[in-house]
Amino acid sequence: MIGSIVLTLALACSIFTMVMYFLTYKGYKNTLNYGRIGYHVMAMLVIVAATLLWHAILTHSYEYKYVYSYSQNSLKTGFLIASFWGGQEGSFMLWLLLTSIVGIILQSYTSKRGDLEQRTMAVFTLATTFLLIMVSPLFKNPFMYIWQEPSFLNVKTINQAMLGMPLLQNFIFTDGSSGQSFVKMSSELYTALSSAGLSVHQLIVDGKGLNPQLLNFWMQIHPPILFTGFSMSTVPFSFAIAAMLKNDYKDWVKQAFPWVLAGAGILGLGIMLGGYWAYEMLGWGGYWAWDPVENSSLIPWLIGVASVHTLLVQRRSQKKGGIGRYAKTNLILCLMTYILVLYSTFLTRSGVLGDASVHSFVDPGMIVYLFLIIFIGTFIVLGFGMLIYRWKTLAEETPVDEGFLSRDLALFTASIVLSASALIVLVGTSAPLFGHAVDALFYNEMHIPLVIIIGLLNGLSILLKWKNTKKEDLFKKSIFSVSSAIILTAFIVLFGGVTQIMMILVALSASFAFFVNVEIAIKIIRGNMKMLGAYVAHIGIALFILGVVGSAAYSSQKDIDLVKDQPQEAFGYQLVFTGYHPIENNTKYAFNVNIKKGDKVYSVSPVMYISEFNNGLMREPAILTTFTKDIYVSPLGYEDQSQSKVQGETISLGLGDSKVVDGVSIEYKDFDKPDMSIMMGGGDFKMGTKLIVTKDGKSYNAEPLIKKEGRDFKYIPDQIEAVNIKIELKKIDPGTQQADFIISKISGDNTSHSQPKEVLTVTASIKPFISFVWIGIVIMVFGFFVSVARRLPESLSKN
Amino acid sequence: MKNKYIFGGFIIVVFLGMLVYLLTQSNIKYEEDFAKVKQEDKIVRATGQWVKEKSYEIDKQNKTFSFYLADAKGVEMKVLYNGTIPNNFESAVSVVVTGEYRNGYFHAKDILTKCPSKYEQQYEQEKTKTSSL
Repeated sequence: MIGSIVLTLALACSIFTMVMYFLTYKGYKNTLNYGRIGYHVMAMLVIVAATLLWHAILTHSYEYKYVYSYSQNSLKTGFLIASFWGGQEGSFMLWLLLTSIVGIILQSYTSKRGDLEQRTMAVFTLATTFLLIMVSPLFKNPFMYIWQEPSFLNVKTINQAMLGMPLLQNFIFTDGSSGQSFVKMSSELYTALSSAGLSVHQLIVDGKGLNPQLLNFWMQIHPPILFTGFSMSTVPFSFAIAAMLKNDYKDWVKQAFPWVLAGAGILGLGIMLGGYWAYEMLGWGGYWAWDPVENSSLIPWLIGVASVHTLLVQRRSQKKGGIGRYAKTNLILCLMTYILVLYSTFLTRSGVLGDASVHSFVDPGMIVYLFLIIFIGTFIVLGFGMLIYRWKTLAEETPVDEGFLSRDLALFTASIVLSASALIVLVGTSAPLFGHAVDALFYNEMHIPLVIIIGLLNGLSILLKWKNTKKEDLFKKSIFSVSSAIILTAFIVLFGGVTQIMMILVALSASFAFFVNVEIAIKIIRGNMKMLGAYVAHIGIALFILGVVGSAAYSSQKDIDLVKDQPQEAFGYQLVFTGYHPIENNTKYAFNVNIKKGDKVYSVSPVMYISEFNNGLMREPAILTTFTKDIYVSPLGYEDQSQSKVQGETISLGLGDSKVVDGVSIEYKDFDKPDMSIMMGGGDFKMGTKLIVTKDGKSYNAEPLIKKEGRDFKYIPDQIEAVNIKIELKKIDPGTQQADFIISKISGDNTSHSQPKEVLTVTASIKPFISFVWIGIVIMVFGFFVSVARRLPESLSKN
Repeated sequence: MKNKYIFGGFIIVVFLGMLVYLLTQSNIKYEEDFAKVKQEDKIVRATGQWVKEKSYEIDKQNKTFSFYLADAKGVEMKVLYNGTIPNNFESAVSVVVTGEYRNGYFHAKDILTKCPSKYEQQYEQEKTKTSSL
């Protein structure tokens, strides 16, 4: 209750602040301080609300529906803290919390830069207002009590001592098919409990818990970083609107620049951590599946990075006076970054991706859907409305026509290419809205040429001078990088086995970019370290591209049955399954696999367990990381054949089905019905199946039977010596005529089958140079922050 | 100056052409109706419910996983997947398969199981059937 009140007060403060700042912009005196106080009170209230939610989770206050739905007693503290953002309501809370904190920094930043504060904060608080409406009791409120909407609670989470109470009996239901019992929680039950002097807190003693796929170290890190990136994208949007409000497009560029850089760095890091999570934990086998949810955070990042490049050009060209080049482009890109974040939220939260994505949230209902549309609509109308209104005054003042070989043009082209990449991802990701989906092939094929261009521009833009470059100069400057790139690519082709022409071009352009930037970075290290940012970021991207080429295009994988203690060969390594042991209080099983190459033996332990949360088999891969490659061992299944009495293989066939077992085709031709009246009467009967067994073009008839004699069932197998096969009818459903057969050999290697054996089936794969993907991005993010350190003081400068 | 625009325009046309071409090439249609899935000779994405009564089958030798999927009208089809049973399969409320229908089977190259967040609804649906207690 108190949480909802706090959030409602914060909403009121947010609206108040917005109005106060807007009035200040309009020229009112005395309102600025109200705005400042209003903002800080709002931010404090949001922090209080977040603290209350954390407190409720940590104290297991299951009377809150959110706490009940996403946490449980047995969670460790770290996961309890992380269950804050385990569901929709909480992730909106997290977004709101981070946006509010970003706003505190933004308020302080803008207050030191003239009249920037009121214009920027008026727009910024519009965003916090929308987020606060989202978490208000009207929509996705995390402080909703569990009885406010009827819900069914598993009896496992109910105080066992209270289950026998008479007043509860009307609310207990048993599900016939699964045999599980539930307590129907509703306002009636709440009233009944209150009148008996009991609280809901006494009734519900445990929560439902977190989805096991979220119970991972990265769950504690990835969402906050990603949402920090989302929150920071509000800032360039606010700056762009603020510039249009004032109709002055000069200063906002340098003022927004450090924010754009920091936002892109953090969002990039967040996206990468998500990829690493998927790779290391969820067993997707890779780091990027072009899943709509992943894509939707990539799109704003690409646009944000595109804006970095044209903002740089505008800033640079301002030195000649005027607002500089690409003023309109920059406004559009900065507006789009935030609008695309909102669009991403819409795609993943509105339920429109329902069947398209692994981790989209479930349909939240029509009202939330509409609200999300209003949310995006408002920002689109505001952003582009302003832009159209100011379009005429935005005529470019400095139409310098630089040469083809200028850094200016190269940077603009880079921005265009990044936007093109964003467009590709946007089109593919939005396809489900129109009842379609695209294959990963679409993204991959479209990006190969773009990546080649990105690599070339990455290197070239560094070599080019701002205005124009003489061809001879360019040639001289690029001798080292071009020749090194050719040598490296030759190595990759010769020793890495890269043969596809497009992949060779990608490798060539990325290594060119790498050497250009390394050469300059080394020169700079001796000079002004602050200038290093761009080169570091570009080295990171070059390494990243090389990592993608190696790991995505040249990984290979293989399913292997590992019989215990019997070594198996894969990719030049010997894999031995040595047994399993329980871990984490017997809740999971780790399967030891030794990987041997030469004298070196490494040990990895993929994990499998049955999750209590959903009764499903969960698998976690294990990775052996070396500098040049990862060996990725993903468990598929485990079978202890020493315990099974049945020899041979069981197959299930419907009437008319056929199946090939050991090169022998078995077709289920006909069903010999038993005499129904005898069967019903409990008398003796027999039933059987007519099969056609085919091998090497020859067909044989087989007719295994089940006979009932007295109380016993007798299974009479049929065997065909010519193909060395024995077929036993194990079970048949007279209704559907679906039958199970046990197929075994009459003689031969059946004896070896009877040896007890434990088999672990795994998918083993080799990912060459995947470490470059992670290293590349970390270096790139570092580069972004070096640039922030350089551009931050500049934003205060007079020029 | 003019050359620059012609060059830029050319690049954009090539890019958009490629985009549209690949989009039609890699386009996957959603199909809820299995009767139509069975006639389609292209790759489709179909959503249905796993027919629990018919169980599923893991063929270790051929490394395939197969099960029956039914659509809202009750039309069933057998799905064959080269791989093993996906995480959460047993508790899935609905299953989304991508692939094509050939020779009497739906050959899935991708299986998506929808579970976690739909739990509450699911229980509620089950409840309406059994609350007569």
